Amino acid sequence: MMIGGGRSSSSSTTATAAGGTWVSTTSVSTSGKRIQREMSELNVDPPPHCSAGPKGDNLYHWVATIIGPPGTPYQGGIFFLDITFPSDYPFKPPKVVFKTRIYHCNVDAAGNLSLDILKDSWSPALTVTKVLTAIKSIFTNPDPYNPHVSGIARLYLTDKAKHDEIAAEWTLRFAK
Amino acid sequence: MFKTNNVASRIFERQIRTPAPGTSVHCARRFYENLVPSFTIYDVKCPDHSFRKFTDDGQYFISFSKNNQDLIVYRPTWLSFSCKEEDCDNTHELPPMAKRFESFFTQLYVRSLTSCNEFICKDFFLYVESNQFGLFATSTAQIQDAPAVGGAIPGVPSIEKITFHLLRLEDGVILDEKVFQNDYVNLAHNMGVFLYDDLLAVVSLRYQTIHILQIRDSGNLVDVRAIGAYCREDDELFVNSSSQARLVIILIVKPLRLIIFHHVQFSGNRGDLVDNGIHHDQPNSNNSFLSGIKQRLLSFIFREIWSEETDQTPRVQCQKKKFYFHFQDYVDLMIWKVQFLDRHHLLIKFGSVDGGISRNTDQHPAFFAVYNMETTEIVAFYQNAADELYLLFEQFCDHFHEASINSLYMNFISSHSNNVHALEQLRCMKNKATIFSQFVKKMLSPLPFNCQSLSPSPYFDQSLFRFDEKLISATDRHRQVTDHPIRFISRRQPNNLKFKIKPGPEFGNADGRNKKISYFLFHPFLPLALSIQQTLFLPPSVVNIHFRR
Repeated sequence: MMIGGGRSSSSSTTATAAGGTWVSTTSVSTSGKRIQREMSELNVDPPPHCSAGPKGDNLYHWVATIIGPPGTPYQGGIFFLDITFPSDYPFKPPKVVFKTRIYHCNVDAAGNLSLDILKDSWSPALTVTKVLTAIKSIFTNPDPYNPHVSGIARLYLTDKAKHDEIAAEWTLRFAK
Repeated sequence: MFKTNNVASRIFERQIRTPAPGTSVHCARRFYENLVPSFTIYDVKCPDHSFRKFTDDGQYFISFSKNNQDLIVYRPTWLSFSCKEEDCDNTHELPPMAKRFESFFTQLYVRSLTSCNEFICKDFFLYVESNQFGLFATSTAQIQDAPAVGGAIPGVPSIEKITFHLLRLEDGVILDEKVFQNDYVNLAHNMGVFLYDDLLAVVSLRYQTIHILQIRDSGNLVDVRAIGAYCREDDELFVNSSSQARLVIILIVKPLRLIIFHHVQFSGNRGDLVDNGIHHDQPNSNNSFLSGIKQRLLSFIFREIWSEETDQTPRVQCQKKKFYFHFQDYVDLMIWKVQFLDRHHLLIKFGSVDGGISRNTDQHPAFFAVYNMETTEIVAFYQNAADELYLLFEQFCDHFHEASINSLYMNFISSHSNNVHALEQLRCMKNKATIFSQFVKKMLSPLPFNCQSLSPSPYFDQSLFRFDEKLISATDRHRQVTDHPIRFISRRQPNNLKFKIKPGPEFGNADGRNKKISYFLFHPFLPLALSIQQTLFLPPSVVNIHFRR
């Protein structure tokens, strides 16, 4: 059932691309190659506490898992993320969304992540492995000066103990 | 061990001998070999109701009116009638006036449960034995292609209003009601509802939520928790309260028009404002979080696969193949059915959307999960062809059946884990099976069990009687009538036919077009049974009473 769905959505990506100009047609195949290469790179040298892979056989739609790093309030949680690659990857950044609720100043109430390398600071030199490492690093070091949810950021700056307590409770309730 | 079948000598034997320790109930039950419902009154004159069942303590006989509007409760009594001496001839035939339904059953009351467009679900009835409460369900008509709105699952029909009524069966007083609106609960054969002691699990297929209710001694139905989008009872409150800070910001960022709208709508109540904010915000985002139960399930599967390999590189390979490839399959799984294993653990069957509604779920892939609702953890996860689960089922079948503390006789319902004959039968089937995984799937298909679907009647005790399970069994189920009388043969003397249940005297004349469906209602301990036969098109059903004269 899923395999069919995956196939259909990947073929639709191709179809929309093929319907466009010749540039996009080649970009799909180059992006596909690029994603494939990043996948093997990730398999050879995966960052600790992270793993990722394509959903079904759709190369453009990945799921990533981050195990809450020990020593942080996210310890013990398993966080799932959706990664969607645009057809003109790597010239546009992948879209990363949390599928697991998290109490974090850089993640909004809908799970959207504010990470500069996924927006303005994106560079085609970056890879999935690097993106995962960057996401993992905001688990240990949130960026309260560039927040998505300023209330949490404020709490993080003023009362870190309280922040950690709430974040740990969220992890226990929603990320176990 | 009894040497003789003579009831008088058995009684004498009982006087002079002490049974082996722990077997006194078993020895007493052997008397059922002497007391059998071998006499039949055919086509009894009886009220035109749908007869549902005897309660498991034998106190009440539940039936519904033909228009599915009223509940009629009877007290089963033993055959009692009075007649003048001259009417009774010396042949000891029953006088015709005794051959009536009313000679066996006394009507206690009639209670209307429905309003105009509702009907009683005549396949649904649960008995709360400790308090002699009955749980009934009424519903409005089913809408097949209901649009999936408000978080509903597409492809699941909708019922505008499903009401559960809790009645005190003693006098028929309605104690409490619980209404599910625009929802779908599978009520046939109690499938979507499971009662364990005082805890009730109701599966909302449409909203993929397991509602846990408690039946209090006072006769109230109290919501305990809802498992689905969230796991703990205060999770939603927790999210809303600790995200208040973010919501205020969202409201400010939103166009001013919206804020004014909120104020007008909710008369400036701050709580409402914040509360509504979250509902307003969520549909705008394309992302939806995994539901609480799915997060638990996926993280359990993830951990299992993660711990299979200790080396990082093959582990990632393994994850890719086993986990991410099927990720969407797991996300799309839906809760089909639930049963309690004990007060904390639920056995949940997950499957695809197509299999949730259809009766024959064998064809669809399915999974079983054991979920601890106190710790909100998944304890185990199996595929429906898992050998491991089958072995547990073979050895500990009784643990899957509701073993309520109150009901002693429930311990005597035969299963392959407590009865050597049933086990032999199972082994035989197992050896015959050509594809083992198919056999496992078939054997595990009734899991989770339907609640209160087995009759505790001693005539289904396989250590006492042998009978053809295709024709009759403890499972409450409609079967096609066959021409042959159903034989109950003594287990200890394999050639000794103890009694027959004949479907009807004029039987065999029925032409092939009118296929008859029959079902049997056995009293839990008296030698009394009803067989009810229906043809598909002719409404009046034929009721036979089988009893010991």
